[in-house]
Amino acid sequence: MNGTTTIAEFRDAILDPAKRAHYRLAWLSTVDHKRIGVLYMLTALVFFIIGGVEALFIRLQLAVPNNDFLHPDTFNKLFTLHGTTMIFLVAMPALFGFVNYVLPLQVGARDMAFPRLNAFGYWCQPFGGILLHFSILAGGAPAVGWFSYAPLSETPYSSTPGIDYWAVALFVLGLGTISFAINTIATVISCRGPGVTMRRLPLFTWMNFINSFLILIALPVLNAGLAMILIDRQLEGHFFLPFRGGSAVLWQHIFWAFGHPEVYIVVLPAFGMVSEIIPVFSRKPIFGYEFVAASTVAIVVLSSLVWGHHMFTVGMGRPMDLFFIITSMLIAIPTGVKVLNWSATMFGGRIRFDVPMLFCIAFLIQFTLAGLTGVSHASAALDWQTKNSYFLVAHFHFVFVGAIVFAMLGALPYWFPKMSGRMMSESLGRWTFWLWVIGFNMTFIIQHVLGLYGMPRRIFTYPDIPGWGWMNMLSTIGVFFMGAGSLVLLWNIAYSFFRGRVAGDNPWDAWTLEWATTSPPPHENFVALPPIHSRRPLWDVANPDRPDPPVGDDQVVLPDHNKTGILAFIFSEVGFFGTLILAYLYFYAHPQAGPGPKELDVQRTLVFSVCLFASSFTFWRSEIAMSKRNRGPMLGWLTLTIALGGVFLVGQGMEYWKLFQTGVDVSTNLFSTTFFTLTGFHGLHVLLGLVALLIFLWLAWRGDFALGSEPAFAAAGYYWHFVDIVWVFVLLTVYILPLLR
Amino acid sequence: MTTYQFLTTAWRWNSILLIFCALALAGYFLAFRRRGRPAYFGAALVVFLLALTSPVNALADGYLFSAHMVQHILLVLIVPALLLLSLPRSFSLPRPLIAFTHPLIGWLAGVGAMWLWHVPALCNAATTSRAISAIQTTSLLLMGSVFWWQVLAPRETERLSPGVGIVYLFTACTACSILGIILTFAPVSICSVYQHPVDRLGMLGTIRGWGLTSDRDQQIGGLLMWVPMCLIYLAAILAQLARWHSDAAPQTEEFNA
Repeated sequence: MNGTTTIAEFRDAILDPAKRAHYRLAWLSTVDHKRIGVLYMLTALVFFIIGGVEALFIRLQLAVPNNDFLHPDTFNKLFTLHGTTMIFLVAMPALFGFVNYVLPLQVGARDMAFPRLNAFGYWCQPFGGILLHFSILAGGAPAVGWFSYAPLSETPYSSTPGIDYWAVALFVLGLGTISFAINTIATVISCRGPGVTMRRLPLFTWMNFINSFLILIALPVLNAGLAMILIDRQLEGHFFLPFRGGSAVLWQHIFWAFGHPEVYIVVLPAFGMVSEIIPVFSRKPIFGYEFVAASTVAIVVLSSLVWGHHMFTVGMGRPMDLFFIITSMLIAIPTGVKVLNWSATMFGGRIRFDVPMLFCIAFLIQFTLAGLTGVSHASAALDWQTKNSYFLVAHFHFVFVGAIVFAMLGALPYWFPKMSGRMMSESLGRWTFWLWVIGFNMTFIIQHVLGLYGMPRRIFTYPDIPGWGWMNMLSTIGVFFMGAGSLVLLWNIAYSFFRGRVAGDNPWDAWTLEWATTSPPPHENFVALPPIHSRRPLWDVANPDRPDPPVGDDQVVLPDHNKTGILAFIFSEVGFFGTLILAYLYFYAHPQAGPGPKELDVQRTLVFSVCLFASSFTFWRSEIAMSKRNRGPMLGWLTLTIALGGVFLVGQGMEYWKLFQTGVDVSTNLFSTTFFTLTGFHGLHVLLGLVALLIFLWLAWRGDFALGSEPAFAAAGYYWHFVDIVWVFVLLTVYILPLLR
Repeated sequence: MTTYQFLTTAWRWNSILLIFCALALAGYFLAFRRRGRPAYFGAALVVFLLALTSPVNALADGYLFSAHMVQHILLVLIVPALLLLSLPRSFSLPRPLIAFTHPLIGWLAGVGAMWLWHVPALCNAATTSRAISAIQTTSLLLMGSVFWWQVLAPRETERLSPGVGIVYLFTACTACSILGIILTFAPVSICSVYQHPVDRLGMLGTIRGWGLTSDRDQQIGGLLMWVPMCLIYLAAILAQLARWHSDAAPQTEEFNA
């Protein structure tokens, strides 16, 4: 059993040539969700050190007034990289690592629904991270903040390739994140073990399942924005350049329509961790499971309606301010429900103050404070005063560190025994805990005061104003406490991995399924699952005389994972094309001089559109032929589908060719920028669909899959129909709408 | 006219509406007697009358797009929902109407009611012509009822399962939000009647005095469709979750024990 690996055995494993080959390649080529989970966390740890050092430099520069330790431009680069790194390369991969490891175990699955997609999603992380940091060598890191506000991020104002690397890196990371979310949804819906009904999901799984939908709502919006800014910078587009008719505020809307849900994307998994740890260490089931679960759904819907509170100082007008104030305040209700339920779970429980629980208690207090300052920012009048001050910096660090990092620091010792087979050191854990709690509060509580005293954020130094000096110094000293806590943590991980106390299967007497297997689990996760009738199957096993009341009936319905996955993917594409279409409409309403919709050939496009729509019909016929096991007609209809799709692309090519001939390209004016972006991305999707269909044609022609019901083929069909439906909307917006004027 | 005078005098007690409501009430009691849930039906009538006789109606009648939007929300989301809730559990639809209970038709009716009546030509026509206004009101009530049937049908078996219901409501919420976003950000007037109102009541000065320019008015209209509308859908989504979690445990457990 791996759980009892001694150092000698570990050394043998590395030194033995046969086993070494296994070690070397196994981690690079792995598709096992447990190893990918660990890889995610290790990647996050590496970038955590990088981002932490960046933060250290920022605080050193700010420690004393009129400091010239860093060049102003270097300071700008550092806070841009620090923010981007901590959110996209630390918080997200670390949380996804936990989800990757734990979620399939909690639902009793053997692996994620799409193991290879899972590996792809992981490898996007280091690739994106290296791309981002490579910009330092390629002529200058981005220096515009993690939000990259236009027009500062446009070529005339940021001529180094830093922003390009930033945008491509985030695009790559976004693709990885979306594939992770699709995988999570498909795993929960289609890969649950017997008895694991949707109503019995542990809260960690439930929250990450719901969170995956939020990822699919938010990330595609960012990706669309990144595509636009890259088109602006690389192809001289006009989206966000005011002096060419573009709108810098549109970038803010797009960025924050992603950016606010993003806060919940990283905080909901943390909520899930806390919802697992607090009940186990209070020896009580969670208080009001249904309320904690349902409030997650409310958070997802509301968080998509509140991004405007990041833009009160932009001048959106009083009506918009008012509505965003109301929704932003409403979101305090579902989060408040959660805090109340966690507190009520602890109330009257036999609390064990182990390190995971200590961090959860700290999380509860710090997160409540973060929420209070958060609600204060929901009020536009107060927000105008504090927005660009250190008060805001303090607020969001309370969310990201006080809530998310603390939850992760609690979750690590909680699940470490499962991953390694060994306990983390309790005494070293307490050192980490106190160093972090003291350091964190020392650094950030005082920043509230600094902000209210008027210290603006994003400045590289400040004059010697009474009081500012010692407060900043105090804030910087706190960073060293956190740094020391991190070093202890690293030592604890390394030490415990080799020398830690052997954990056994279920060291915490926890109740969810991941504790029903060995530590670490075998490759296929479970030998056999215990009977599952409630939300705490291991409690029922341990206490057969007083089991939890059964929840719902035992019947588990598992839809096909291919179809689930592709539907989730389509859900994300709606956000991507929705953003592009709305951007098109936004600029269509402000017509510019130069080429416009009148240059387009509507009649020809309608003819080619009919070809595309007909291809949906022919695909359907092909599917019918397949289900009837008629190979000939199936191949024939599929070939016709591909031909019709190809004809449509030729038609689009003719349209483009004519425009190029008359000197219209992406950089001509806003119409051409939006037109080529929207139709170009649609054409790209048609092309990808054609490639997928060609692969199917090839496989079917070789006889590589049995005819009959083939869900993968149906899934490809969903995608193909979706591309056609998108064209209905593009056709209406781009070609038909101008006719109605 | 001052705001106070307006709020006290702008009520239109339209006799056709009152007679219609009285007949509806009588019909309700004749048809269902004690089986129905008259509180919901009463609430539906009150909201219906408020939407069509109160000062909101006077403002929606050519003055304020945002008031029109309030009326729209009440007629398409609130009144039909209350009407369906007022039906007795045993109620079943007459056979010819069963065709309207397909989820896709329900979804298209709910979303279509929002989009269709904000096509500029139709929106203007509904404000200028009494007849088209009456058609609009009727169609909103009908389409709203077809939409809500999927979630609030009297018989549990005719409703969507909670999971599908959440998808149904969430996608409808998204589709309406997109329209709300378009209305909020549109630089041109969608319903041009409201841009230069005909000042029949001598109210325009007072209304502009509230700070409601025609641009702001349209923004508020768009925001009403975007935000409060979504909150109604969100409430319905939470109700679906409550329904899902309240399913009773299987009875067989007790027999086994």
